[in-house]
Amino acid sequence: MEKRLIKKDALSGIINKLSEQMLVYAPVKDEDNVLFKVLEKGMEPLADYSNTRNAPKNFFFPKTETMMRYMRTERGIELSGEGEGAPEMVLFGVRPCDARSFILLDKVFDQEKYKDPYYIDKREKTTIISLACVHPPYSTCFCTSVGGHPMSSEGADVVLTDLGDKYLAEFVTPKGEKLLEKMGDLSKADDAAEATKEELSKKSEEAITSHVAGREIKPWLDENFEHPFWDTIHQSCLACGTCTYLCPTCHCFDISDEVKGSDGKRIRTWDSCMYWLFTKETSGHNPRTSQKQRWRQRLMHKFKYFVDNFDAIACVGCGRCVMYCPVNIDIRKIVNDISKL
Amino acid sequence: MENVEKQLREEAKRLLADKKVDVIVGYEEGTLPLQTVPCFITNPDDAGKLVWNSFCSQNLAKYVHDIIHQHRESQVRVKPEDKTRKVVGVVARGCTTRSLVIHLQERQYDRDEVVIIGVPCTGFVAKRKVSTLVDGKEILEAAVNGDKISVRTTSGDKDVPLKDVIADNCLNCHFNNPVISDIMVGNEAPPRDVDREYDSVNKFENLPLEERWSYFTKEMEKCIRCYACRNTCPSCYCKICFVEQSQPAWVGTGDDPTDVQVFQIMRMFHMAGRCVDCGSCVEVCPMGVDLRNFLKKLDKDGFELFAHKAGESIDKPAPLSTFEMGDKEKFIFEPESSS
Ligand code: SF4
Ligand code: SF4
Ligand code: SF4
Ligand code: SF4
Repeated sequence: MEKRLIKKDALSGIINKLSEQMLVYAPVKDEDNVLFKVLEKGMEPLADYSNTRNAPKNFFFPKTETMMRYMRTERGIELSGEGEGAPEMVLFGVRPCDARSFILLDKVFDQEKYKDPYYIDKREKTTIISLACVHPPYSTCFCTSVGGHPMSSEGADVVLTDLGDKYLAEFVTPKGEKLLEKMGDLSKADDAAEATKEELSKKSEEAITSHVAGREIKPWLDENFEHPFWDTIHQSCLACGTCTYLCPTCHCFDISDEVKGSDGKRIRTWDSCMYWLFTKETSGHNPRTSQKQRWRQRLMHKFKYFVDNFDAIACVGCGRCVMYCPVNIDIRKIVNDISKL
Repeated sequence: MENVEKQLREEAKRLLADKKVDVIVGYEEGTLPLQTVPCFITNPDDAGKLVWNSFCSQNLAKYVHDIIHQHRESQVRVKPEDKTRKVVGVVARGCTTRSLVIHLQERQYDRDEVVIIGVPCTGFVAKRKVSTLVDGKEILEAAVNGDKISVRTTSGDKDVPLKDVIADNCLNCHFNNPVISDIMVGNEAPPRDVDREYDSVNKFENLPLEERWSYFTKEMEKCIRCYACRNTCPSCYCKICFVEQSQPAWVGTGDDPTDVQVFQIMRMFHMAGRCVDCGSCVEVCPMGVDLRNFLKKLDKDGFELFAHKAGESIDKPAPLSTFEMGDKEKFIFEPESSS
């Protein structure tokens, strides 16, 4: 693994230089939100920010994606794809929890049994530069309870760690090393930088104040599909799906056709287990008719089914659903309440 | 406040113990600062959980409607002689009671299916306003002290005047005391700055058309169509909303901006004469879309054309579902001549 040092004031120049050669998405301020946007000339990427409101999953799994187009002609139906595929790009400034979410999404979209060409194409052509959390950005962060770490490099190609006056840049994967070639001359990192990183890593881990019993509740979930506890979560839920839309790991989708005249397209859009249309079948039957069943699905999917299938919890502990649920339904509390049953 | 809370808990406990209600819908403490959560109490011993403070932001009438209707649905296959009713007690401030009035006027349930515990209201804190005043820093603690709110953030403490963070709809509210109730707790709340109710709408109306349209399109671009606004709104209770109908599909499910605009325009027009300006839709919107500006314009039209305020009184029928000989109709027959 290559390791380099980048002076603080040089970073934005380096990233801007990259953006002249390829598409770079970076966190920028937009009214009162921080969002990933295409970096254009003169724009300053934020390196000192907490986290974006939206998870970056939309870069590989967009909210709306055209899968194919069709046209009715006199000769029959003509099919066509959506152009030449994804461009090379860099995602700069991803938080470690979100970078880790890509590894979890890979398990679904890029596995032996099913390969999703739409996802894989974009994923392969993207290099991820993550920004380690030297301080956990929120008091609601709980990455360490679900298999992550504030300074983890999982899912990243390049990891930047803020050492005070400079960044330690670690080029973790071959993709990352290829990016190094485009970044110009950077001085090699010394042992002192690594020692500082070690120290910061320990401190950051200790500064995490939210802890949930992520793995511990699995045996209970295995046994208690029917339990009065499930009656206590969903009552105030507005079924808005904010929790699932903002979540970096939620990945349910729906496929529908939109037709105008003789032109049509097949689109894939995000779905959410919080919606009453979720799993509603064409016959009109829905195996999950109540919000109670849907909320159970959300929790079970993250803390049981995903663990059964892929041996990982489908939550990276980013805390978005906790912070942005309009009625303050708190997944940390739910998991911990279950652990006390 | 403490006094109101104490009375509230006593009344709720009594109603549950005397089996006057099956459930009390109120607010309880949340897990985050600036938050309370809607709660559903069935055991009299849990009445102590109820709170009433400046962080009670949501209009609870929506839940009253949902609970009664879900119960009715569960009774569909029950023999007539075995059918039961569910009586819901609800903690209701002014706007919540107006929503209940609308439900009653629209025959959604009977008056004796709901027990209204009226509370006086001095307005709720808009979370976004607080967040803006502390530059988006994470808020770790917040407490109201008199006319100030003390906030502890990741970068220090700050005191903010309460009036700067009270939700816009509360600042000029005409009905901060319940318009209808079975039990009242607390003393009447002092009147708000009602004369300025339509100031912001007047200002917006006077902008050139292009500016108004570009503001509308800019706001709608933020919308992710989660429908939290619709789902929290007590007046949005259609079983199947037009946006989710598929035969025919009135709006597409993709990211076409016109689909978002159509959803919003249709929803807002369904609110004409039915929006009580409770601010719940604005408060729950995860993207901070300014819905109020447009809803308030419809409210103003309702007031100017029909002297109507939504849900003001159970005896005053809604203008769009009644006809009176004196109703203005020039705007239908000669639309050009009226502004
Ligand atoms: S479930 Fe919540 S905390 Fe976990 S990854 Fe999703 S949004 Fe983040
Ligand atoms: S964000 Fe909260 S209210 Fe919305 S669907 Fe999720 S749990 Fe329900
Ligand atoms: S709550 Fe906000 S984002 Fe969601 S549908 Fe309503 S306006 Fe759009
Ligand atoms: S439209 Fe918004 S402000 Fe009006 S009644 Fe519904 S939730 Fe309240």
